[in-house]
Amino acid sequence: MFKKILVANDGSEGAIRALEKGIELAQIFGAELWSLSVEGPLPAYAAIIGEVEEARIERENYFKAIEDEAERIAKEKGVELKTKVAYGHPADVIIRFAEERNFDLIILAHKGHTLADRFLLGSTSDKVADHSKSSVLIVK
Amino acid sequence: MNELFTTAVMGFLVLLASIISVEVGISVALIEIFLGVVAGNLGIKVLPWVSFLGTFAGVVLTFLAGAEVDIPLLRAKFKESALIGGLSFLFPFVLTFLFAWFIAGWDLRASEIAGIALSTTSLAVVYAVLVETGLNRTQIGKLIMAATFITDLATVLALSILFVQVNAFTIVFMLVSIALIIILPKISPWFFKRYGERVIEPEIKLMFFVLFLLMYLGDLGLSHAVLPAFILGLVLSQLYEKNKLQLQRMRVVGFALLTPFFFLKAGMNISISVLIANLSLLAAFFVVKIAAKFVGVLPVSRRYIPESATYTTLLMSTGLTFGTISSIYGLNAGIINKAQFSILVAVVIASAIIPTIIAQRFFSPKIGFEE
Repeated sequence: MFKKILVANDGSEGAIRALEKGIELAQIFGAELWSLSVEGPLPAYAAIIGEVEEARIERENYFKAIEDEAERIAKEKGVELKTKVAYGHPADVIIRFAEERNFDLIILAHKGHTLADRFLLGSTSDKVADHSKSSVLIVK
Repeated sequence: MNELFTTAVMGFLVLLASIISVEVGISVALIEIFLGVVAGNLGIKVLPWVSFLGTFAGVVLTFLAGAEVDIPLLRAKFKESALIGGLSFLFPFVLTFLFAWFIAGWDLRASEIAGIALSTTSLAVVYAVLVETGLNRTQIGKLIMAATFITDLATVLALSILFVQVNAFTIVFMLVSIALIIILPKISPWFFKRYGERVIEPEIKLMFFVLFLLMYLGDLGLSHAVLPAFILGLVLSQLYEKNKLQLQRMRVVGFALLTPFFFLKAGMNISISVLIANLSLLAAFFVVKIAAKFVGVLPVSRRYIPESATYTTLLMSTGLTFGTISSIYGLNAGIINKAQFSILVAVVIASAIIPTIIAQRFFSPKIGFEE
């Protein structure tokens, strides 16, 4: 039923549960499984490149650790996981990435770990569910 | 007010700015300016040590801006970037200068400062936007970056050339600057190797000594250290490319101890009452700056980057650090008064925010995800 499954992964406990659900479904359907992590915007209106560059490096290291952990979990279950880290506002990037790469299922956690973003921008899962053309599974 | 109390307040503001910056995702520099405005307008005075650190931080920021220039990229894109970056400086400089002189009624030298402060393009603002959109990997992004380097260079050249006053020490200042620009790239690799990788950081102390020396000689020679500081950073950029950890340490020292006082000082010199009383002038300067960027940059962007000409022009319209450095230079040298400073820095900040939002919201080119 599903050929390409995308799991949105911000490293939170909810995201790990979403990943585990993705692994389960990938095994059932023999689907290709991807993990997408979205780095939030870099410091806006920075004074020097260094401020942006340091923030970029810190985040890349953080998301590299998330990717490694996701790969480890998938490998333990015998599933191949492809990973991707992209910049931008999470919901927009998840929707665009899923459309561009023809994913037929997006799995994401009900709650990530960015309280401030949820307060300011609304829930990522709500936005993805509302606007994505793919099927969306929200894991609680 | 007790000096130590004010020092404690400064320390708190520096900390608070960092916390707010992390929480809201806005650059610490902008928050520091904002908190400086609040503190200054509540009657907290700029202490002499804050003023000194702020001035030195301006030179360090200029040096770091030079060190961040991507020389191979600049070489590869020189023709197009020189044209876009040159026009990005020239048109806003001339038009803002003329506006300040003839319409706003500022004197000649204050108008020149206005021209310089409002002709800048913020490399950091541009870079952040390009990285987020993924455009930094594309030819468009590389060309915009290279053009921004040129605009920065034109700004420091103008700041140095227009306000030069020659005396005997000016020659000494120039000769020492040239000697340092030639010698430092040659001795620094040896110095880094011999004394580097220690917690006492002799490499940073070498650069700070050189920048202090340039400030001193620049002062004696009735000139300013920005041009040699920028060029020194430029000629050392390849060395820092190979020693990224060293550049990172310079940034850490700068952001922890120096640049907060540069931006706080800038904010503390902004008068809210002046801004309120001059809202129309402030808006007019902003419109002139953006319009001038469009007149200068849009036609040539259409030629070289037809698919993203408006986006490029909007990004080239941003300004922050060099605009603030130029304004602080004008204020310190008595070329502009506090009211003029307030207006210029407010326009500089507006130009960091408004064109970026418009560019990202309405003109951001959609590019695919990297494999």
